[in-house]
Amino acid sequence: MRRFRVVLAGLLLAAATHAQAHVASNGFLRIQLDGPRIAGSLELAVRDAEIAVGLDSNRDGKVTWGEVRAAQAALTLYLRQHLQVSVPQGSCVLNFGAVQINERVDGNYLWQPFTAVCPAVAHWVTIDYRLLDSEDPSHRGLLTLSAQGMTQTAVLGGPRGVQNFDLSHPSVWYAFVEYLQAGIWHIWNGIDHLLFLFSLLLPAVLIRREQRWRAVPQAAPALINIFQVVTAFTVAHSITLSLAAFDVVRLPSRLTESVIAASIIVAALNNVFPLVTEARWRIAFAFGLLHGFGFAAVLSEMGLPRGVRLISLLAFNLGVEVGQLAVVLAVMPLAYLLRSTRFYQGTLMPWGSTAIAGLALVWLIQRAVG
Amino acid sequence: MLAIASIAAVSASPRTPTDDNEVLANLPPGTAHNSMQVRKQATERIDVALPLAQFYISQARVTGDLRFLGYAEAVLTPWVTRGTAVPAALVLEATVQQSRHEFDSALATLDRALAAAPNDAQAWLTRATVLRVRGRYSEAAAACTQFGRWADAGVSLICEQAIEGLTGHLEAAYATLRQLSPQGMLVPERAWRESELGEMAVRLGRDADAEHWFREALAYSPDELYIRGAYADLLLRQRRCGEVLALLKGRESIEPMLLRIAIAQKQLRDPALARSRELLQAAFTTEAQRGEAVHRREQARFLLEVEDLPQAALAAALANWAVQREPDDVLILFSAAHAAGAPQSAYPALEFARSHGLLDARLTVFAGARA
Repeated sequence: MRRFRVVLAGLLLAAATHAQAHVASNGFLRIQLDGPRIAGSLELAVRDAEIAVGLDSNRDGKVTWGEVRAAQAALTLYLRQHLQVSVPQGSCVLNFGAVQINERVDGNYLWQPFTAVCPAVAHWVTIDYRLLDSEDPSHRGLLTLSAQGMTQTAVLGGPRGVQNFDLSHPSVWYAFVEYLQAGIWHIWNGIDHLLFLFSLLLPAVLIRREQRWRAVPQAAPALINIFQVVTAFTVAHSITLSLAAFDVVRLPSRLTESVIAASIIVAALNNVFPLVTEARWRIAFAFGLLHGFGFAAVLSEMGLPRGVRLISLLAFNLGVEVGQLAVVLAVMPLAYLLRSTRFYQGTLMPWGSTAIAGLALVWLIQRAVG
Repeated sequence: MLAIASIAAVSASPRTPTDDNEVLANLPPGTAHNSMQVRKQATERIDVALPLAQFYISQARVTGDLRFLGYAEAVLTPWVTRGTAVPAALVLEATVQQSRHEFDSALATLDRALAAAPNDAQAWLTRATVLRVRGRYSEAAAACTQFGRWADAGVSLICEQAIEGLTGHLEAAYATLRQLSPQGMLVPERAWRESELGEMAVRLGRDADAEHWFREALAYSPDELYIRGAYADLLLRQRRCGEVLALLKGRESIEPMLLRIAIAQKQLRDPALARSRELLQAAFTTEAQRGEAVHRREQARFLLEVEDLPQAALAAALANWAVQREPDDVLILFSAAHAAGAPQSAYPALEFARSHGLLDARLTVFAGARA
């Protein structure tokens, strides 16, 4: 008999491994600070309010609007005891209004508006959120805090019941850093953009005379070449990235990705069978427009946070430039030093470019066939 | 555009009902405020606490509602935080952690339980299950062996053969479990046997057999959501999308079920897809806000199969791979890596499958594409 009990419970565990669970218990707390004044709302699932306060007075397993209205006083008392907002100068006593109902994807929520006046205008606000702490320790409060035109979000409750929020710290800064990093990361991981650029930069330290590559005599022409190619690429992809980010123009990602691969082939083959030997920045510009759509695809998967869209876009673009420039600065001095060698002119230029073109051809086929 | 935006704003704003009789929520068993009285007793009495926690865990499994895991945790906390914790309470605590995909915490809790009660079959089985999900097969097999010392032979055979089937002996394990008679097994034990058989058949590429096992299991265990999901995946692969919608009807509130519904709706160009997408996006957003990732695998599939965002899907699949290593996790990583044009991202998973001898007919599509 004991064996059976063990086994039954064990099976329950085995199947429970595959957690088939939907959303956890969440409260939604919105606080808007305007000087010392607070306006806000707290949303609590009807089921969570039931377990905390007890709404179903006739115990029929259904919570009706009449029962919620009858429980308003108990609900307000519970909220007062479990939710406090304060500034360093003292507590901001919350006054709760009449409860309403809000429908969310996982069911009905009680929508409880409140107002408060804090003792002073402060740079810090402390929120003490203990709703359902003894009933459901996995309950969390999802906070949206707006002050001075800035919005920040946080998770309240559980181990982090009491939290302080710095109102002088703009959330814009965090968005900026995050998107700057994303831009750098993308350039370093999205090797196709770098290969395109390098295919155009390989001959930047050379000059084409009488069907042959020769080393540039001094740094100046090489620097001008590099500057032109990098700038043209940057300007071009910035244009299309911005257009796509604000939904002015959209291209299917398979098309963009395929054309990006094709652009690498063109740029690399131009080193083997030179057609465009002067002002290669024109290639950089023309195809740069398409690479911009490629960056935009990454950005659209990340999403641009509301309220700080423009700054995030700028940060991402800046990240791309920083990442690209770092690589150019690391590689081009070396290319300049090696430019007169046979290795550079006779091996790297033709065979390196051919290898890049071959790799890009594989990508092109993969991307076009999908 | 403006009109749509304003309609959305209106529907999202709170309202005051006019009818006192309007029902706002139906309360599942064990979720009324008066259940708090039993909970109070559970803080004093272990013979109340254990069955109550088990009840909540099984409700979480059947309804897919994570709140029940929180309730179970609340009941268990006083019994696992004291100096001499109750081993049976620790095992249930580990089950809660495992259900939330907090696998390392679950293993640590089980270590505490087994230190106090080395012959707790329950603890060994849970340990085997967690290790298996993490892809630590040799340790999982060892835990099955320990489990077999204290448990029914038939059930410990399922534990053991399930691991065999993942480590190079798929065909033999399948044959062994087929021969294991379901006579005299309890309903959940039968369901376990048949779900393992079904999944093995899928990996062997025998979809018709797999369908037989899944249907068999669901006939008397209709609430086994895991089996229902696996069956839905089989139907999706065979493009039998209408059947998927019928199979999962009424279970839209459970995220992994809704995911499969959405994939089917997309294939069928069903206008109801818009609502499913909205629900899933909201669920994933809330999860991300909470800093949790119970449904990373589902999220990766959602991004790949519903949203057509292969790069994002790949990122989610990689994050999932760091935590979970079941055949389905290999599959989603392969699919996402392939779709994102970055097959090299799936090499760790390929190496994992190769080194363990993990066979899966569903992966041959990608093997073919690589060659």
